[in-house]
Amino acid sequence: MSSAAEKAKYLPVVVEKPIPVTFDLGNLAVFDSNTLDANELDSSNAQREQNIQSIVRDNVQLMINQILSLPLRTTTDSNGSSGQGSSMTLVQLPEPTSELPREKPLPKPKPPTKWELFAAKKGIKSKEKSGKMVFDEATGKWVPKWGFKGANKKLDDQWLVEVDESKNKKEGDELIDPRTLSRTERKMLIKKNELQHKRNLKENK
Amino acid sequence: MIRTIKPKNNRAKRALDKKESKLVENVKQALFIPGKTSNKLLHDAMVDLSALKKPDIKRFTKKNGILPFEDASQLEFFSEKNDCSLMVLATSSKKRKNNLTFVRTFGYKVYDMIELQIAENYKLLSDFRKQTFTLGAKPLFSFQGSAFDSHPVYQQIKSLFLDFFRGDVTDLQDVAGLQHVISLTIQGDFQDGDPLPNVLFRVYRLKTYRSEQGGKKLPRVELEESGPRFDFKIGRIHMPSPEMAKEAHKRAKQLEVKTVKNIERDSLGDKIGTIHVGKQDLGKLQTRKLKGLKSKFDQNGADSETENYINEDESYGEDFVTATDIEVAPPAKRSKKA
Repeated sequence: MSSAAEKAKYLPVVVEKPIPVTFDLGNLAVFDSNTLDANELDSSNAQREQNIQSIVRDNVQLMINQILSLPLRTTTDSNGSSGQGSSMTLVQLPEPTSELPREKPLPKPKPPTKWELFAAKKGIKSKEKSGKMVFDEATGKWVPKWGFKGANKKLDDQWLVEVDESKNKKEGDELIDPRTLSRTERKMLIKKNELQHKRNLKENK
Repeated sequence: MIRTIKPKNNRAKRALDKKESKLVENVKQALFIPGKTSNKLLHDAMVDLSALKKPDIKRFTKKNGILPFEDASQLEFFSEKNDCSLMVLATSSKKRKNNLTFVRTFGYKVYDMIELQIAENYKLLSDFRKQTFTLGAKPLFSFQGSAFDSHPVYQQIKSLFLDFFRGDVTDLQDVAGLQHVISLTIQGDFQDGDPLPNVLFRVYRLKTYRSEQGGKKLPRVELEESGPRFDFKIGRIHMPSPEMAKEAHKRAKQLEVKTVKNIERDSLGDKIGTIHVGKQDLGKLQTRKLKGLKSKFDQNGADSETENYINEDESYGEDFVTATDIEVAPPAKRSKKA
């Protein structure tokens, strides 16, 4: 054992101060408002550095005592590659109390879309999410509502499809394959949604 | 202002998103800029300060002719371009020798500025026994002097140094990571009207020894100066405008901790909930109905006995209680383990 450690063994660990120091343990800071003698800290004083160091040491001792009285948590890291379990002692620090300025202003909340404004005006509440999967009665399986093998593509691979007169009339006299019609409908919906999305972004710039 | 273009690829988009303001902010980055009149000492001082702040730093090598108190637009540009909100500019002149200007920005606009001039008795990191700091280790701070609480200039210095060096804001701190102390001491107390005393910047390395007095838990702390050592003379100051300070100290509503009512945890970590139920009025408690206990048989109402007896047949067999019979009583507290 070194002589410094030997000596430190018998030195006190408690410090008395005329004015008790304050802490900001979240920032690991100690604030000492005791009087400081200008002569002791003057650059002409040979003992200056020792004086500063002794004051700081007392404050740090007080802070270390405070920190170690905070709730401790020991972790065991057993999944280390070396196979040795290393443990760390962590102190649970409180929230910082010193108010420091932010770096950037608070992020602005997302502006509402045209639909959200309309829904708020009319008092429409958004539907509860029921998930992506839906039960297919015919096959007895759970299938996604949209996407790969989605339920909205049921019409596409049928060998026989009923022709909806009302839809076909708009397109003209010519008979269009109802399968392609349902596909174009889907594509139109996607395009419409993209357009609305773009418009919302543009308006909210 | 920097021209912002719509990001063309995902990487550029990510980079832009990183710069955006966040609810929980990242560690402030520091930028070290040598001015036109910078010199060897200032360069070394900046290297030492950046060693304390690493890894959240950027250091310029070329000299820049910036006069921050005349025109800070160049600094604001650097702040935005490099996404740094802390800047240190090194200049030296006959009037202000070996001057470091510490600048903080808020939203890429200058928040506050303070000039600190390195006085004669400085000592650099290389003048001490060669030691390096653990990268990213959180330092301890020690502020000596009552003016740090009362005087606006020293309050600003305190805020600046805390902001500059504190690093990550964490709730869990490794005990072994408590390695160095940054100490700021005011060179003596002073009265109003006196010139502002210097601020003494010292960095110490912590050494802890097992002590017999402290028992198993508390160690004896000793310090060893590891440098750098600067005596800062205070020069010109630019205070933040009140509006900007207010804006910068705003706290997000989403981050405020909501008080949870009626749910507690005991020392064993068990969750305990409090359920508030109505207070039961035991006077109206319905016990088993007996014929003999009926109100008509009460002793005080003896006259009407015969009449009641005639009606008795109808109410005979009324042995049950319906839900409407039990009245709702006022609330009471009752604890229940969940």
